[in-house]
Amino acid sequence: MECITSVNKLKLKFPEEEGLLFNDLTISIRKGEKVLLLGPSGCGKSTLLQVLSGLIPQSIDIPIKSESIQIPDSWGFIFQDPDSQFCMPYVDEEIAFVLENLRIPKKEMTGRIKELLATVGLFLEDIHTEIRTLSGGMKQRLALATVLALDPEVIFLDEPTALIDEEGTAQVWDTVKAISKDKTIIIVEHKIDQIMDVIDRVIVFTHDGKIMADGNSTYVFSNFKEELKRFGIWYPNAWEEYKKEKVQNTFTEPSDHMLRLQNFRGYRKKENAITLEKAAVHSGEWIVVTGANGAGKSTLLLSMMQLLKTSGDYRMDGRPIKKFADLQRKAYFVFQNPEYQFLTNSVIEEITYELRQRNEVSNAEFVKKANDLLTIFGLKDKQKQHPYHLSLGQKRRLSVATAFIQNPQLLLLDEPTFGQDSKNTFKLLELLQEECQKGTIIIMVTHDLNIIDHFATRVWEVKNGKVISDWKKDEIKTGSEGNVYEYIF
Amino acid sequence: MNISFEESWLHKVNPALKLFTLTFLFVFAVTIHHLNYMITFTLTVSILFFFCTGQPYKHLLLFLLPFLLVFFSTAVSMILFGKGETTLFKWGLVNVTEESLYRGLHLGFRALVFAMMGITFVLTTKPVQLFYSLMQQLKLHPKYAYSFMAAIRLIPIMFEELQTIRDARKVRGIQSQKGLSGVLKSIKSLPIPLLSQSIRRAFRIAVAMEAKRFNSSNARTFYYHIGFSIYDLLFIVYFVLTISLAYFFALEFPLFPVTDVRH
Repeated sequence: MECITSVNKLKLKFPEEEGLLFNDLTISIRKGEKVLLLGPSGCGKSTLLQVLSGLIPQSIDIPIKSESIQIPDSWGFIFQDPDSQFCMPYVDEEIAFVLENLRIPKKEMTGRIKELLATVGLFLEDIHTEIRTLSGGMKQRLALATVLALDPEVIFLDEPTALIDEEGTAQVWDTVKAISKDKTIIIVEHKIDQIMDVIDRVIVFTHDGKIMADGNSTYVFSNFKEELKRFGIWYPNAWEEYKKEKVQNTFTEPSDHMLRLQNFRGYRKKENAITLEKAAVHSGEWIVVTGANGAGKSTLLLSMMQLLKTSGDYRMDGRPIKKFADLQRKAYFVFQNPEYQFLTNSVIEEITYELRQRNEVSNAEFVKKANDLLTIFGLKDKQKQHPYHLSLGQKRRLSVATAFIQNPQLLLLDEPTFGQDSKNTFKLLELLQEECQKGTIIIMVTHDLNIIDHFATRVWEVKNGKVISDWKKDEIKTGSEGNVYEYIF
Repeated sequence: MNISFEESWLHKVNPALKLFTLTFLFVFAVTIHHLNYMITFTLTVSILFFFCTGQPYKHLLLFLLPFLLVFFSTAVSMILFGKGETTLFKWGLVNVTEESLYRGLHLGFRALVFAMMGITFVLTTKPVQLFYSLMQQLKLHPKYAYSFMAAIRLIPIMFEELQTIRDARKVRGIQSQKGLSGVLKSIKSLPIPLLSQSIRRAFRIAVAMEAKRFNSSNARTFYYHIGFSIYDLLFIVYFVLTISLAYFFALEFPLFPVTDVRH
């Protein structure tokens, strides 16, 4: 079959990095193929998508060298971050922007816009809807609609669901499946459970940008499982495999803490944004907060950290918590974007920041703890690096490490595993579990149902600004953990 | 910001024409040295401001509040400490003369009229419409127009982000630093993560725009056709008429016995 995009002996190097990302990479995609690119983070999958689409070097200025390169005549590109791929404020204007670029006459535009929105399953009351009011899944479907406006032969998808929730992910992939019939699709993605049935070719890269495997999915997943696991790729059933191998950690003597909340309310702009009627939480509990986008999960966490105005009775170990200062050194909040919390210019300064604030740098015990944490989190050899220069997974680990150094009694985390590969996810969750067993109360917002299955001890479900259900996992019969979903939805 | 309001006829005026007219009136206001005329001119603008923006009065007054402060502060400082010959009141450093009183009032009104024209424009013009109009009527290059529109979209995102960064840093114990050096340090450290995010986001949007075949050198069609209408005529006629009337009233029925505040 004829080839639609290819590159022959590609050499590519990032200006600020040593060594070539690709050295003589040859790849060709045939017309109509549905290709999945897999590989450890930093192996250059996304970069390759940009080369094959011609974005590199036309739009992104990175020098490349190749014997020959074939770029499809018409293509569309879906990016990872739903918020930074639109340039107009309203849905209709965004699609119109593409139609304008294609010089479609004005009188045909409204019809085309409605048609495109229907194709991706976005049925809005008014096409003149603000983009920022859409959920992540809807935004990505809007992105698909704008791409379809280009009538592309090839659609490139660069981790389109990394930053959106489970429900949105399903919507996006359903849409992709519906529109992919006579198109070539090239996908980079970590969460691959839901797309395996559309994919007919899988290409696996090694960390140094070489092709390790290339074939249909059955061939790749049966022959290269060990490698995929080592690279941290989310292959089908990664969670089940992980669980089998997991060794229970030795139990350390836990410290005991307790939270008590009654008629607890958090406010945004003087409006009651979250309500928690009553709850008591003990040491060693790992609570997962679930719910749809915008239900109030993050608001609940911000309120519990006293970063929003709250009312009601909130006590930790019997003492009332009324303001942020009451929680200092007792609770810690890990934000979704780790960069927000970095304050210094090197990893080692970052992790010892709290100690220096308290003039405890000279305290040998604390210095040892800081070093231990760096070792555990795999950041020992990155000590001198600027936190911004770390990879996403490393940044996240550093931000959790800075939480652990404080020995918090309550640890709040907002989507800590978003966009992480399986290696980083399991590592992070194990570290959290250890901390949990030592007595830290963990409350975490996540969309990942597997975390509920395998790590959490308790689930809070939030809906329309209210915690509507609260159940402990050991209270239900844990015979078949697969059925846990039923209790949540 | 999402404030509900009714669309008035001012919303229907061609944005480029509105911008052009108001810019002209800005310059025009600078050339008015006649206090009585300045007052009547302010009146003509305030009629538009209060009755034709389609906003509830509560919002209008709220928007005007900071500018009223500017009005009083510029007027008062000029009145109390200005130079002049005919002293009305003297107490220590305070020296109110007839000339300084008029000059102060004049300056205050000028500040007020600037503010009202500016707010009226912002309240009755959608950024997207303005840039479409600039592209169509004044042949603004699409490269700049779409860059601005994309940038405007980023502003609310940046504000949200600023709040999150503040919270994130509070958790890390930033606020525990006391004194001026602590405050300075936190001011210094905020822009770095904020800018790093914004620059990255801006770059991504730019790439996404090119991926959607935005090409600044090609001709393009427009989703919104911004033309001229009867409202544009109304807008021009309103100003020509009211400014003439203002001049007439200022001459015939002067509020203050003064012609040129410069003398």
